[in-house]
Amino acid sequence: MKKTILLKGFALALLSLSTLSFAIEYKETPVHTEFELSVEEEKRIIAAFPMPTGKMLADNCSACHGTLGAEFNEAMPPLAGMKAENFVKLMKDYRSNAFPSIVMHDVAYVFTDEEIQAMADYFAAQDAVQWTQPDFQGVN
Amino acid sequence: MSQMTRRDLIKIFGASAVASTGLFGASKAAYANNAAHIVVVGGGIGGASFAKYMRLMNADVKITIIEPKAEYIFCPGSNEIFSGHETLENLTVNYKTLKNRFKIDVVQDVATEINYEKHEIATLKSGKIAYDKLVVSPGPEFVYDFVDGYNAELAEGDFPHAWKTGPQTMKLKQQMESMRQGGTILISSPRMPYRCPPAPYERASFMAAALEKNNPTAKILIMDSKDNYVFREHFEHYWKDKHGFGTADSRIEWVPANKGGTIAKLDAANKTVTTENGDIIKADVINIITEERAGRFASANGLTDKTGWVPFEPKTFSSLISPDVYVMGDMVGANMPKTGYIASNQGKVIATAIDDLLAGREPGTPFITNNCVAMAGEDFGMTITATFRYTGEGKGYSVQERRSAVTDNPHTNRIRAEVAKNWQRTFRKDMFS
Repeated sequence: MKKTILLKGFALALLSLSTLSFAIEYKETPVHTEFELSVEEEKRIIAAFPMPTGKMLADNCSACHGTLGAEFNEAMPPLAGMKAENFVKLMKDYRSNAFPSIVMHDVAYVFTDEEIQAMADYFAAQDAVQWTQPDFQGVN
Repeated sequence: MSQMTRRDLIKIFGASAVASTGLFGASKAAYANNAAHIVVVGGGIGGASFAKYMRLMNADVKITIIEPKAEYIFCPGSNEIFSGHETLENLTVNYKTLKNRFKIDVVQDVATEINYEKHEIATLKSGKIAYDKLVVSPGPEFVYDFVDGYNAELAEGDFPHAWKTGPQTMKLKQQMESMRQGGTILISSPRMPYRCPPAPYERASFMAAALEKNNPTAKILIMDSKDNYVFREHFEHYWKDKHGFGTADSRIEWVPANKGGTIAKLDAANKTVTTENGDIIKADVINIITEERAGRFASANGLTDKTGWVPFEPKTFSSLISPDVYVMGDMVGANMPKTGYIASNQGKVIATAIDDLLAGREPGTPFITNNCVAMAGEDFGMTITATFRYTGEGKGYSVQERRSAVTDNPHTNRIRAEVAKNWQRTFRKDMFS
């Protein structure tokens, strides 16, 4: 039950972000820097080694989405407990820039289908419970 | 409590209660004499990230952090202190959660010498500590000798670099606030590499926001030892809008290296600096941001090479000196910026590698991002995303990078700033909660 409520909250947060983005006719063109890989080069590097695990990939999300994706008290949406198919659809829409966003298009473009699926499975398996405990001695 | 296993707790409280407290402590095995002992030098972002994620992966190891200070003060967010939007207290965390929730020992001491053969690390007060794996993350050492006449004593006194959040930050803020009307603050921005590349310009921006209110005719002069910097198009866009950048009355002026921006000398008595071109500039407040290198701990223990940085095996970040020693953060010679974000993700890569090796598995392919944020004002943020993929033993990492586009849309700029603040809060919790 708790999980459903939390995920509803997440969906709402996401919706408000997305409507805001559309309301201001948000368009985002990727700004490349000197560090760019050609499609072939990227493919070659990815193919040369075993895929990083879903955990290895997904733990890169924690600075914004919380440890194990379980930050439920911030505007950036939590990922813990998210349905895998929703994660996959969103990430692919961000990747193709079909879903205008503030930063996620610039995050998602590097991932392969398999990597997105592995992250989706990882987050789907996490408990949808706020990570940071009330006794945390830093300031929230 | 510490001697209880997760199973014991489940017996007492039931599985759901245990799950909801998010218990990720140590198992009984972690307290056994034969538990693998992982010792971490440095309890900053890199060391804390490593230790916490190591514990999340493995309940059976003993983890000890050696850290001289009782608290850690975050650098991300510290530029906002100058405009009053952030406080030192907000950026300060302690080690209680790492100790109590994750059962990590924190020894408040200074690590001195590694005995690679005996697998021991010496400390000032706590004697020698034996390790199975040693993770070294002591942070950078500030270098003063690139500016003649500048030194650590002056930085502790009237010429704070404030490049590590703490008393120097508050001293610099106080100098800014007590400056005469119409005075000049000089910020010297160093050559690469240094921590958070946009930070000197972020600092100038938040100081300008404070001056706009309390000392509107004052100026900030950024003397740069580089010809360019990251997010320059964003900063200049905002400064044109808010501070008359590019006009004769601009609150902020930027002098690149190729126009004489490199500072060569400080005359502390007369409060002047001399540029490489021989120009003498007088300022009311002088903030020379230092260069940096791998610290004395790294060089004294032979971890550095002739570049002054620490080489490493890129798959696991193990040192080339000893495979049971891992290196990370500001001191490593990686093709990655020296940000806290990078250090936190290097820590996770090392934790995963050690967990694999302890279980007899070949470490998997690492993956590191630096999806970072900066601000030119409370209402103006910017984002950068960099992805580092492993390209093979002895080679290193490929880099892909994108930045947010400059826009006149105030809402987009505002939301980016909110994303930046959100990042700062969540990042602190990710390391220390």
